Parts: sequence; structure tokens; C-alpha cells
Amino acid sequence: MRRIWAALTTTALTAAALTGCGLGSGDSKNSDSVASAAATGEVKGKVSIQTWALKPKFTDYMQGVIDGFKKKYPGVEVDWLDQPGEGYSDKVLSQAAAGGLPDVVNLPPDFAFPLAKKDLLLDVAKADPKLADEYVAGGVEAYRYTGQNGTFGYPWYLNTDVNYWNSELLTNNGLDPKKLPASLDDLIAQARVMKEKSGGQTYLMSRKPGLGDLYNAGVKIMSDDGKSFTFNTPEAAALLDKYRDAFKEGLLPKDVLTNTYVGNSKLFNAGTAAWTTGGGNFITSLATDNPTLAPKMTSSPTMGVPPLYVQGLSIPKTTKNPAAAVALARWVTSPENQAAFSHLTSVFPSTKASANDPFFSKSDGSNSGDAKVVAFDSLAKAKLIQPVQVDDAMSTIINQQIALAISGDASSKQALDSAVEQCNKLLKG
Amino acid sequence: MTHRRWFTPWLLAGPALLWLAVFNLWPAVNTVILSFTNAKPLGGGQFTGLENYGRLLDDEQLADALLNSIVFMLVCLPLLTVLPLLLALLVQRKIPGITFFRTAFYTPVIASAVVVALIWGWVLDDRGLVNGMLQQSGLTDSPVSFLTDRWLLLFSAIALTVWKGLGYYMVIYLSALANVPRELHEAAAVDGASPLRRFWHVTLPGVRPTMMLISVLISVSALRVFSELYVLSHGQGGPGGRDMSVVMLIQMYSRGFNGHLGYASALSLMLFVITLGPMLLLMRLNRKAA
Repeated sequence: MRRIWAALTTTALTAAALTGCGLGSGDSKNSDSVASAAATGEVKGKVSIQTWALKPKFTDYMQGVIDGFKKKYPGVEVDWLDQPGEGYSDKVLSQAAAGGLPDVVNLPPDFAFPLAKKDLLLDVAKADPKLADEYVAGGVEAYRYTGQNGTFGYPWYLNTDVNYWNSELLTNNGLDPKKLPASLDDLIAQARVMKEKSGGQTYLMSRKPGLGDLYNAGVKIMSDDGKSFTFNTPEAAALLDKYRDAFKEGLLPKDVLTNTYVGNSKLFNAGTAAWTTGGGNFITSLATDNPTLAPKMTSSPTMGVPPLYVQGLSIPKTTKNPAAAVALARWVTSPENQAAFSHLTSVFPSTKASANDPFFSKSDGSNSGDAKVVAFDSLAKAKLIQPVQVDDAMSTIINQQIALAISGDASSKQALDSAVEQCNKLLKG
Repeated sequence: MTHRRWFTPWLLAGPALLWLAVFNLWPAVNTVILSFTNAKPLGGGQFTGLENYGRLLDDEQLADALLNSIVFMLVCLPLLTVLPLLLALLVQRKIPGITFFRTAFYTPVIASAVVVALIWGWVLDDRGLVNGMLQQSGLTDSPVSFLTDRWLLLFSAIALTVWKGLGYYMVIYLSALANVPRELHEAAAVDGASPLRRFWHVTLPGVRPTMMLISVLISVSALRVFSELYVLSHGQGGPGGRDMSVVMLIQMYSRGFNGHLGYASALSLMLFVITLGPMLLLMRLNRKAA
């Protein structure tokens, strides 16, 4: 009996110890001391960097950047880790929870936000006071969060959305690729023409609206203090009403009720939908999947304010080599290295010095070159539209409620109220 | 004769016990603890008492998810208990070429649930094979909303699950049928019992324990349905999220940097309790019948 009690006690103690792990808090070093070490320390020793899905396509580029860094700082050793595209957030989450983040980590602003909230990231502006002068404001702002003091990442490469049109589908269905819709009302009117001419076989509209569309309708998504969602306004309801009526009229495929963005691009790739949105390099990537469609595509700026997509490099406070980590992040995001990267693929540099590069502002005459220029021009007014507070669960809930409104199973107001209520609960929980 | 020390059995069982404690017992205990907190994946979290359990009561999506999971179980249970038995009766005969059919029926079992669901998604899509055939044959004018109607999506997922599970349970029934004494069938035949009566009075009692086991397995796995509904609905849970299962809800709340581990744990425990219900009921029925 005594032995059984001994075994039970051991199990209970182990469980209690592990409970501590489950509910423990992260390591929070003093930000000033790490920033000071980063600013004044010597760049030497080992430093690790983690990128997101750059191998194998950009292996040579990234290795060249690392070799350049090692040449600039002899004696420094760089350990480059590249994580696959799928499941990256889970990977970063497990690294952060285990205190095992590399010295420099590729984190988009919404991944960096929860880590910054947990005091796990270095305020890079403190370690590098020139940051705000050298990087574009939108990129830097993306790493500053309401309620958190600091800038929690070096902006790296940027992108935005561009409208893409299948000009052949437009022409064959009585629409003029030179008179593209400039507003939602235009879009609905042209979608009606396409439905009538194609007998409902092809669509102009094939995605349901999201927070970006609400923002462009003048709806405030979140309160200024970042503590509650506010997108259940009459303007938002009016926008959803328009989509509901268009859906009822058969101007959108039924798939929009359950599809994500991927569904819209799949329909476009298959030649069933004539409009989609994508980054500046969409035509180039489509040329592999559907080479006959790529030459028929034209591009135009998105309707309203274009969304800003930012990738950046953050530095965990737990880094053992802050000086080398800051130097490496700065090196990778330097104007020269960013320009070289942007020449390889249609992303755009986040440094002010790169803005005058004619490579971005002049097309080579191809439709992909035109799209790149449209994207580059759009970047000037692009904004980070989706608040970083919106997590996976909230995105799913918002999508679901918008689908309910469009299908007519709930009124637009009910759906928006429900989405806001559920998201606010999650925000507070 | 060697002297046996008291700790020898513990030493031998130790590694297995440790494994159980770390990978089974501890996660279960941790789930109970987390369900009383507002914990996040990055640590922290405070004791919130019964708040998460209170939230279960006014979660509209949970009501839908529970209904879906229960309908899923109630439809799958009879289909996957009876159809594989009939299939096993068909393929147990030793006739030339029967191995081919046994293999064919078993093939869906070895395919990944995600891959199968993706293929079914293409087949049932508005522009998929089934709708193409229905429209070309003139049976329907417009596509049937297999994947965009709440109930049709749920029943599509049920059809997929039944199709995929038939072979698995068929194999279990085959081994049970092999254990039904041949003499009983022969005696019943000599007494003039028809094939239907022999099935009812000899075969069924012979495979009843297996049938009960299969029923328990099906009810547990049906209540925990995830992949089929997730893939067919592109992770969105159908129109308006009304096709979510309870496991999909758990996944939705627990994933990501900001995962709501407390509420997801409360959902997990609720599902655990619900899963116990049909298990206990079936075991009780089995005892009574025995």
C-alpha cells in the first residue's frame, strides 16, 4: 500500500511541476540592457537566423547575403534555418514557448504582436535609433502596436494586392477590359452583364467581402485603443446587403459561402471567374499553373485603399548575441540586399533608399511587368488594414458570419453584431 | 532460487508507466486544469473558475456543433454497424476472385482521410463530376449544393465516412464470422431453417460481441469527427459555420499564438463526457443481451 502511495505522490508531484510549465510566463529580460548590448557590442561569435519558405527557390540568394555578412564581419558564424511554408506559426509558437527562438526570426507583424505582448521581442528602435529614418513609415508602423512601447521588427519586404482580370472572359461576355469597374456598384453592374451573356457559366465576382472591403466602405474596424471591434456599423450592413442581393441574383457562385480566398483564385485559374486579387507577382506564378491564361491577364489597382503586406525580421530578447543579431537583421534588410531580392521576385523593398529604383517604377511592357508597376504605385497608399489583433479563430468567425449574411440566413446587422460580439469575447478572453 | 526485490516489477513496468504518465495521464490532467483558466499558448493564464463552462451554455456555435456531431453519430452508427456485416457475409465465401473484392473494399481504409476528403470535394463540387452527370442526364437543372448547403454538406461527410469505414469494419466482421461454429449453421439447416432465420438466430448472436465493439468504436469516432467536415468545408465549417463539429470548434479556439486554451479544454472535457454516454449505454445493452 505504501508503495502505491509513493507512486501516486511521485505522479502528483510531477504533474504539479508540469502544471507550472503549462501556466508559466515567458522570460522577460530587461529591454534596455539587451538594446544597449546590441548597440555597443562587438559583432562576433555565433548568430542564427530563421527565414520562412525561402528554400529551395532563394537558397543561392540567401546564402549570398549570409556570405556577404561573414565577409563584412570576419569571425562571425551564421546558422541559417529555413522553415517550410505550412505550419510556420505553429513552429514559431513552439519555439517561443520553449524559449528556443533563433537570434533573428522572420515574423510578419501579426506573428510578432503576441510575442511582443509577452515581452519576448527586442525593441529594435532602441538598439538602432536610425531605423525610422531608413525604412518606409508603413513598414515601421506595422511593428508598432497599440499598448506596447517599441518597434518590434525590421521591415523586410513588402507587397500589396492588385486586381487581375481575365481580359478574354471580359471581351467574350460583352465587357470592355479598358473600362474596368472602379467601385462595388460598377462591379455588380458588370457582373450582371457577365452572368447574362455567359448564361451563368462564368462569374465576375467570386469572393465574399472581408474586413478590407468594410474598411474601404468607411467602416472603422477596431477602437483606437485596440480593445474592441467596431465593424458592426450601418455602413458595413449596407455593404453586406449589396453582396447578399448580388448573391441572390446569382452574380456570385455558391462556393463563396464556404470558400476562402484560395477558392476565388482557383476559380480564376480555372477560367470560371474573371476577377481576382493577388500580389505583384501573381501573373508570373500563374504562368506555371495555367500558361494559356497568363498572357490574357491584365492588372489594375485595387478599388479603395490597397492592403499592405509586410514581412520583417524580429529579434528575441533572449538572444545571446544581440550585437550580431541586430547587425544581421540590418544587413539582410539593407537597401542593396533588398533590391537584389526584389529583382528576383515581385516583392518590394522596405528601405527608403530603394524607392527611386527604376526597376520597380518602369514596366518592361509585359503584363507581369505592368502588374509590378501597379503594385509598386499602390504601395505608396497601402495600409495595414487588418488589425494584428485578429487571430485565426476571429478570422473564421468573421468569415462565417459574413457568409450567413450573404446567404440571407441572417440579416447583415445580426451577422455583424454576432461577429463583433464573438470577436470581442475572444479579445478579452 | 533468487530473491525477488519489491521494486523489480516497478523497474520493469517503469518505462511504460512513465510513458503513460507523460503522454496520456498528464495531458488529461492538464486539460482539466487548463479548463479552469484563461491560459494562452505562450504561458500565463489565471484561474477563472467555472467561467469557461458557463460560456459553453451560451455558445450558439456549440449548439450547432453538438447537433452536427450527434446527427453524424446517429446516422453513421446503424450504417457502419450493419453494412460492413452484410459486406463481410458477401465476401466471406470462398469463390474465385473474391480476394479482389475484399481488397477493393478495403482500399479506401488505407487512403488518408484528408486525401479522400479532397477527392470527394472535387467530385461533389458545384462544377464536379456528380453535378456534371446529374445535369447532363437532365436529372437536375442547376448544381446540387452538396458542399454549400448545411445539411447536404453534413450528409456528404457522412457518406464519405461510411464509404471509407466499410472495409475496416468488414475485416473485423470477417474474423468474427470465422469464429461462428459451422456446426450450428448445419444443425439449423437440417432443422429446415431458412437462410434469413439462420442469419438471425445463428450468425447475429455469434457476432454480437463484435457488433457491440464496432458500435462503440463508431460512436466514439463519429462524435470526434473532424477531417471529413474540415476538408469538405475548406476549414470554414460550412455556410455560416453551421457544419462545425465539436472537434472543429476545439481546433478553432486552440490554434495560433492567441489560442484560447482554457475554453478549448472545457470543450474537450465536455466532449469526453458526451462520448462516455453512448459507450456506457452500448456496454449496458451488451450485458443485458448477453
